[in-house]
Amino acid sequence: MMFKRLFFILSLMFLMPVWAGKVIKVVTSANFPPYEFHQNGQIVGVDIDIIREVLRRNGMEMVVEDMKFDSIIVAIQTGKGDIAASGLTVTEDRKREVDFSVTYVQAKQVIIVREDSDIAAPQDLQGRKIGVQSGTTGDTFVTENIGNPQRFDDASTAVAALKSGKLDAVVLDYEPARVHVARNAGLKLLDEPLTSEEYAFAVAKGNRELLEMINKTLQEMIADGTIENIRAKYEKVTDIEVAETDPDGSFKDDLYTVFVKNARWRYLCNGLKVTLLVAFFSVILGVSIGFFVAIIRSTADTTGKLKIANFLCKVYLMIIRGTPVVLQLLIIYFVVFGSMDVDKVLVAIIAFGINSGAYVAEIIRSGIMSIDRGQMEAGRSLGLSYSKTMILVILPQALKNVLPALGNEFIVLLKETSVCGFIALEDLTKGGDVIRSQTYNAFLPLIAVALVYLVLVMTFSFALEKLEKRLKKNE
Amino acid sequence: MKMDLLQISNLSKSFHEHSVLRDISFKVGRGEVVAVIGPSGSGKTTLLRCATMLERADGGSISMGGVVFLQNGVYADRKIIREARSKCGMVFQAFNLFPHMSVLENIIDAPVHVAGVSRQEAEKKAMELLAKMELVDYASSYPCELSGGQQQRVAIARALALNPEILFFDEPTSALDPELTKGVLRVIRSLADENMTMVIVTHEMDFAAMVADRIVFMADGIIVEEGRAEQVVNHPVNERTKAFIAGLKGGF
Repeated sequence: MMFKRLFFILSLMFLMPVWAGKVIKVVTSANFPPYEFHQNGQIVGVDIDIIREVLRRNGMEMVVEDMKFDSIIVAIQTGKGDIAASGLTVTEDRKREVDFSVTYVQAKQVIIVREDSDIAAPQDLQGRKIGVQSGTTGDTFVTENIGNPQRFDDASTAVAALKSGKLDAVVLDYEPARVHVARNAGLKLLDEPLTSEEYAFAVAKGNRELLEMINKTLQEMIADGTIENIRAKYEKVTDIEVAETDPDGSFKDDLYTVFVKNARWRYLCNGLKVTLLVAFFSVILGVSIGFFVAIIRSTADTTGKLKIANFLCKVYLMIIRGTPVVLQLLIIYFVVFGSMDVDKVLVAIIAFGINSGAYVAEIIRSGIMSIDRGQMEAGRSLGLSYSKTMILVILPQALKNVLPALGNEFIVLLKETSVCGFIALEDLTKGGDVIRSQTYNAFLPLIAVALVYLVLVMTFSFALEKLEKRLKKNE
Repeated sequence: MKMDLLQISNLSKSFHEHSVLRDISFKVGRGEVVAVIGPSGSGKTTLLRCATMLERADGGSISMGGVVFLQNGVYADRKIIREARSKCGMVFQAFNLFPHMSVLENIIDAPVHVAGVSRQEAEKKAMELLAKMELVDYASSYPCELSGGQQQRVAIARALALNPEILFFDEPTSALDPELTKGVLRVIRSLADENMTMVIVTHEMDFAAMVADRIVFMADGIIVEEGRAEQVVNHPVNERTKAFIAGLKGGF
């Protein structure tokens, strides 16, 4: 049954044209103003406007998906996105992975330092603590020419680290760097750029049709001045009300900007919804897998049957417990569901469910093993079958014994879902990140997100304690 | 003619290299009470566990109430084993009550889930059994709230709830304080008076002499001596039986 369905999905994958329905999926990393950033709940910017215009002129529509910058190339390769519009600089390395359009914008990598810094030119960077956005050309340039930088997921975190003295300099593209400096008191841009480069859109290797269409339209747009107009529109993005916190504002103002303004609290609410959804269903999936595996394992241990199933279970436990959950999440998203269009919430549920199942299995197995052998014998001597004895006699007692350990596992799982951001799923943590990248305020969103997790865990612990007390009454 | 309810012939069982039962043959007639005595490690408990299918024997044959579930070392299929199992009940040394169920639930669990008796009917029968065990007031208690002697009586009621034709006891009073054994022994005796077929592994010689029709003395995996209870206790023939019984009687 399952294989049939899988086969069906697989055959669909081959039959589907690359951009069926003419809705093009554009992937970007929307924390790179003015090229791409969140504004009033939408992703906007130079790149986004240009590619939208390109597609509009060809009678196509698009959806924009936000993800980590270093996931973008993979997303294009695996078909998670059709076009990457994310301030991509053309490099030899990237050319091997994707096909680039003609370049549409000149950009340079510049250096941000604190106003009182003694770094005055690129050559002063040697041996200093430099921050970059992971996977950007700035990252590559610094790594190859200066030394190992500190890699941040987004530019605003790097800038926050520079501001608080954790870094000596941040290397960024000129346009976003300009915005960051304008928004943060005490920072300045060095006049001399580190390097200059050109931006282009990227599509999957061999997707000629799409590439030629983009190139043709881009050239028209360069010729008729459209590109220049779009750039000009965002020229004053520092003045546009992108809702930064005023560096000199009061705490109350900060609270207002971070949570109330532009209804930013919604990022937290929606994130919380995703976190709860993912946590709840992964617990259910994890417990189901856990029960199944635990029963196979303990049956094999006590009766010597189910040898092959037991071996498979052991392999499952070894792989899942032997690798980090983030990698499992990424592998399931990019490899297992590679070119399938699967809801990310579902991907997360599957990844965390499978992960948690391994831990739950061993917890339940330890519970089953803790039950006296006499219980199974009593059940069998009364004529109950092995499985009935398991369900009616052994498991209820085993579960009661392992309830604290299970509760612990669920708490860990709830918090582990905070790595959802790696596949660009906007969970609670990611929601906080979005606010952080918009407001350039690191403190409040982080504390708020931490508080929400704390409240969730406390509520859960309280409920668990009640349950334990109720089950204790017959001891 | 008395029909043999339990027939064991040439039963053998070893754990790894150690042979625990050697060619045991043993019969129990309907309505008979047989006490199995002997030093620790003599194979008494293993004999009981093989008879109740908790342990798999290596060789021999066993027939329970006419159902042959083991023949020359080969076990019958599941259906037959299930049928044989339904004819016997087991009372354990450690009671093995289900701690997460009330006394009543312990008793009705198997009738409801195995025999398919309605809950109402099972409860009615359970209450009758509890009355017999003098435990009516404890129906809704949990095992942990009961003394050892009370728990063992619940275990007997639980075994009886399935109307077994033969009841096995594995040292039913060994885990109890002396003053708690009385109630349990009284119950077993009343069952004997009702002609319940029973096989009891025990160390209580006086009780065995009083309640059993026949005593079987085992040592080193073989039956050394068997005979009418009074005869084995008072006039043992075999030297080992003599030494064992003298040891129990003489104390130090």
